[in-house]
Amino acid sequence: MTGEPMSPEDRDLLAAEYALGALDGDDLARARSLAASHAGFRAEVERWTGRLSPLLDEVAPASPPDALWPKIEQRIGAQAAGPPQPGANVVQLRRRVGLWRGLAAGATALAASLALVLVTQPPRTVAPVQAAAPAPLVAMLGDESRDMKLVASFDPASGRLMVAAASDMPADPGHAHELWMIPADGKPRSLGTMPGPKMRAQLPMPIALQFREGVTLAVSVEPMGGSPTGLPTGPVIASGKLERA
Amino acid sequence: MDRAAIAPERAAESRELAPLLSGIAAGDRSALSTLYQRTSAKLFGICTRLLPSEADAQDVLQDVYLTVWRKANLYDANKASPITWLAVMARNKAIDRLRARQLGIDDLDAAADVADESPSALEVIEQGQEHDRLAKCLDELEPNHGAMIRAAFLDGATYAELAERESVPLGTMKSWIRRGLQRLRGCLER
Repeated sequence: MTGEPMSPEDRDLLAAEYALGALDGDDLARARSLAASHAGFRAEVERWTGRLSPLLDEVAPASPPDALWPKIEQRIGAQAAGPPQPGANVVQLRRRVGLWRGLAAGATALAASLALVLVTQPPRTVAPVQAAAPAPLVAMLGDESRDMKLVASFDPASGRLMVAAASDMPADPGHAHELWMIPADGKPRSLGTMPGPKMRAQLPMPIALQFREGVTLAVSVEPMGGSPTGLPTGPVIASGKLERA
Repeated sequence: MDRAAIAPERAAESRELAPLLSGIAAGDRSALSTLYQRTSAKLFGICTRLLPSEADAQDVLQDVYLTVWRKANLYDANKASPITWLAVMARNKAIDRLRARQLGIDDLDAAADVADESPSALEVIEQGQEHDRLAKCLDELEPNHGAMIRAAFLDGATYAELAERESVPLGTMKSWIRRGLQRLRGCLER
């Protein structure tokens, strides 16, 4: 959904229209996609929202029904007790992955790019004593517009991870795409920033041992050099779970 | 962007609400309760204005405070006053719900997921805006343009709906509003 390049003026105007809320259909989808991938666009939307936000002072207040607060309290109680912040991104990731999983079936283009990745993987030399080498794991990382973005493959025998973009990654100078692994404990671990549309990495043993079925891989947009906090800070543009190849 | 960028009329309110957001970020439920008491009428007003369904408005209001509970740590006092941050969150979530309803999406959990990349996921940067100044600038626009901009932002009207309402072609409505927005920025930056 990258479309043809837009001039900066058109982009700023689209940011204004998006903040205003007047867009629908393809224009809205395009603005959402830009907001997810383009920090400059996002900032312009934020500034426009700021310009228009005093209008909200014109809205007459309305008391919500008394029964509403107890419902909120109850839903908070249902969430984990204590400060929830460190996991907040992860909760969001899980929900997204859930959505993606439901959509993942049946794309032939996807199967083709997956095959490509597997073919380009360096052949494994299996030691004779190793009766059954662990099966390679693959993950298809998609975004919310149901476009497959990246394919990841991991070879447990060698600890090699390969990630390749299956469609155009939004070019975003000034930002990095950072790859994350989210194991069962829900804590994202950075696997580094992607140098380009392809990334090969030899994973250190402690990380490699955590690569198993069901582990989530995700790509977020971060400042150059990667997330300053060690956790994803920018929007997640693609995520998917590791499965047996 | 520094604190001085927040409009003076917001300053006193900010001093009261900002510590509540810090408390919430630290997991203090009573801070959330106090924040709800102070701000829910304003936010519910925004939700009911945008959403025809009262049930949807209540649902979105719950979602706003649950989001605040989970993400109060993302509030940046250098970018916006607390009430603006909250009001914009309520408005954006209500718009998302409105659009999801218009698309006939009933699975609102999925809709909420999609909405994570839409305005509700975005922040707001205030630049010292005040209501009077904005209203004055809107009044300076050609007749209609200001009203159209208000209707889009406050009622959630899309280009297509506004064109129909005013009985003008879609392209005409788009160019009115685009011109209006450009002139509005010029006026605000004077």
